[in-house]
Formats: sequence, C-alpha cells, structure tokens
Amino acid sequence: MKSLLTNPSFIFITGGVRSGKSSFAERMAEKMAQETGGVLTYFATGVSTDHEMAIRIEKHQRDRQTAKQPWRTIEHSTRIETAAPQIGSNDIILLDCVTTLLNNELFSEQDVWDEKFLKKVKRTILTGIHCIKSRAKAMIVVSNEVLNEPIFGNELVFTYARLLGQIHQHLVKEADHAYLIEAGIPILMKGAEK
Amino acid sequence: MHFVTGGAFNGKRAWVKQTYKGYHWISAYENASLPIDVSTIEGNLLVLEGIELWVKEFTNKYNLNECRNVWNRCLDQWQSWEKEKPGRIIVIIGTDITKGIVPVEKENRRWRDAAGWAFQDLAARAEKVDIIWYGINHTIKAGGEEE
Repeated sequence: MKSLLTNPSFIFITGGVRSGKSSFAERMAEKMAQETGGVLTYFATGVSTDHEMAIRIEKHQRDRQTAKQPWRTIEHSTRIETAAPQIGSNDIILLDCVTTLLNNELFSEQDVWDEKFLKKVKRTILTGIHCIKSRAKAMIVVSNEVLNEPIFGNELVFTYARLLGQIHQHLVKEADHAYLIEAGIPILMKGAEK
Repeated sequence: MHFVTGGAFNGKRAWVKQTYKGYHWISAYENASLPIDVSTIEGNLLVLEGIELWVKEFTNKYNLNECRNVWNRCLDQWQSWEKEKPGRIIVIIGTDITKGIVPVEKENRRWRDAAGWAFQDLAARAEKVDIIWYGINHTIKAGGEEE
C-alpha cells in the first residue's frame, strides 16, 4: 500500500449490484485510517423509506460498530455541503452511494425535471462532494453501474441516466484513483498503484 | 475497424472526437439511417455512431440469425471501404445495453440478444476495441483481426 505522502485523497468506486464495491470501499477506508491515523467517518445518505431499507441500514450500522476500528457516522440525505462544519481535516470520509444521493435530490422536491432543476441537482451534488472532500483528509465515493442497459423509450430513465453519467464523468475526472469492481475484484481504471 | 463501446453517457463521443480528427460522422442518435453502402463517402475517417439503434431496426424485420447475417454483410461493406485506400479507418460506436435485468417485453429481449451478437461479431472483426468508462478508455483488443 502507499506511503503517507503518496496517499490519494479522492477515490471513486463503482460496480454493479452486489459486486462487493461497498466492502472494498470500507476496507480501503479502514486501511487508510490505520496508516494515517485518520478518523473513519461514514457519510450516510440513505433515507429509510420502508422496512427493508431500515433493516439494511441497521445491518450496515451494526457492521461498522462491530468493526475493528470504530466508525463515526454523519447522516445527510440531501444538500450534503451543509454537513461541512462537521468534517475535520483528519477525517477519512466514505460516502455510499451517489445514486442514493441523486435519488434524494431528484425526488425531495415536487419540481418539474426541467433543465434548470437538473442543472441545480447536478451542481448541488458535485459542489457538496467537493466541499466535503476539501475539508477532509481523504474521501471515498461509491456509486452504481446502471448505464449498461437500454435507456431509450422512457424519458425519466433517459434523463436520470444522462445526469448520473455526467456526475460519474466529473467524479472520475476529479479522482486520484478510480476503481471498477467486477465480481468482487477491483479494476484500477485511473491512477497508478505504487 | 475500431469498435468503441461502453455504457450510456460515459463519454464515448467526446473520446472519439478527442482521439480522431477530420471525420465524416453518421449518427443513429441524430436519426440517420443505417449507411450500408458507404462507397461514395470521401475522406479517410468514417464514424458510425449508435449501432445498437440500427440493430434494433433489424429485429423488427428479421429473426435473430438473419439479424446477424445482415449485420455481418454491413461489416463486409464497411471493411471493403477501409481497404479501398490505405490509411482509411472506420470507427464504430455502440452503447452497451446488455447488462440490465431481462426486459419484460419480448421485442426488447430480442433487441438485447441481437445487439449482443452484433457487438461480438464486430469486436471479433475489429482491429481495435476500446471500452469507455466515464471518459477513460480501456483498450481490450489491439493489434488485429481474429481469424
């Protein structure tokens, strides 16, 4: 693993459903915290809208509590930049995941999905992430691979896909390292592993 | 032939525009019809974009085997355009639509199957294949056609 000096500060990770992306991200965060003495911080974006979601969230919380290293949790489902005052320069932030955040922003208001609103949503998410990462020691952002199926024919899906694709492209551009997880195996797509 | 693929809104078009200069661009996304006969096209660089939409049209007319045959006849034509003059190249862009949940509608299942075959056949005949992942290219084949 990298030395202190070459530690990347912004990492982007995607994968399909059950690809192992979350546990890869958690292990990476724990390793980084161990090496740098950073504070493990889970940035939770999930809103428990139903029973199944509540159980999932609870399981994730339990997992992090019983982990070898303790995790601190920050909960924010929209406008994440408002959490900035809670972020310290020693924090290793894990945000999982961007699609949840995008859903929250898109469906939080009864807005029509016009270009102005979509631009605002994109800006809110990107500046939010940027703001958090610039205050922290490091930030790992996890998202989903959902753009490899037909998106034509349904305007809502098409618009959502376009927005998510643009956000992912931007995050990859910003990232020091970007990983695609396939069946539990991380593929380094950007950044050289030392 | 250079096959460029990847998911939707991953930056395939931007990558091709960045990589190649001086192209003749034909796009299914701009409602262009499938250019089977390209012999009158001048220049050395032809870009065909959105092949999955053209393949979808095949599935309205043909069964899966016929789709594959028609597709391979298109590839024949395009390859002969390339071979006509030295330095010519065709760049073919296709959006991957094959990794979702099995579609409920029969016509979409047929489309997905036909697209999968079309991409395989194209990749086998292409000299180079790149996957574009959020703006980053990953070359998965380079250095020639499989026999």
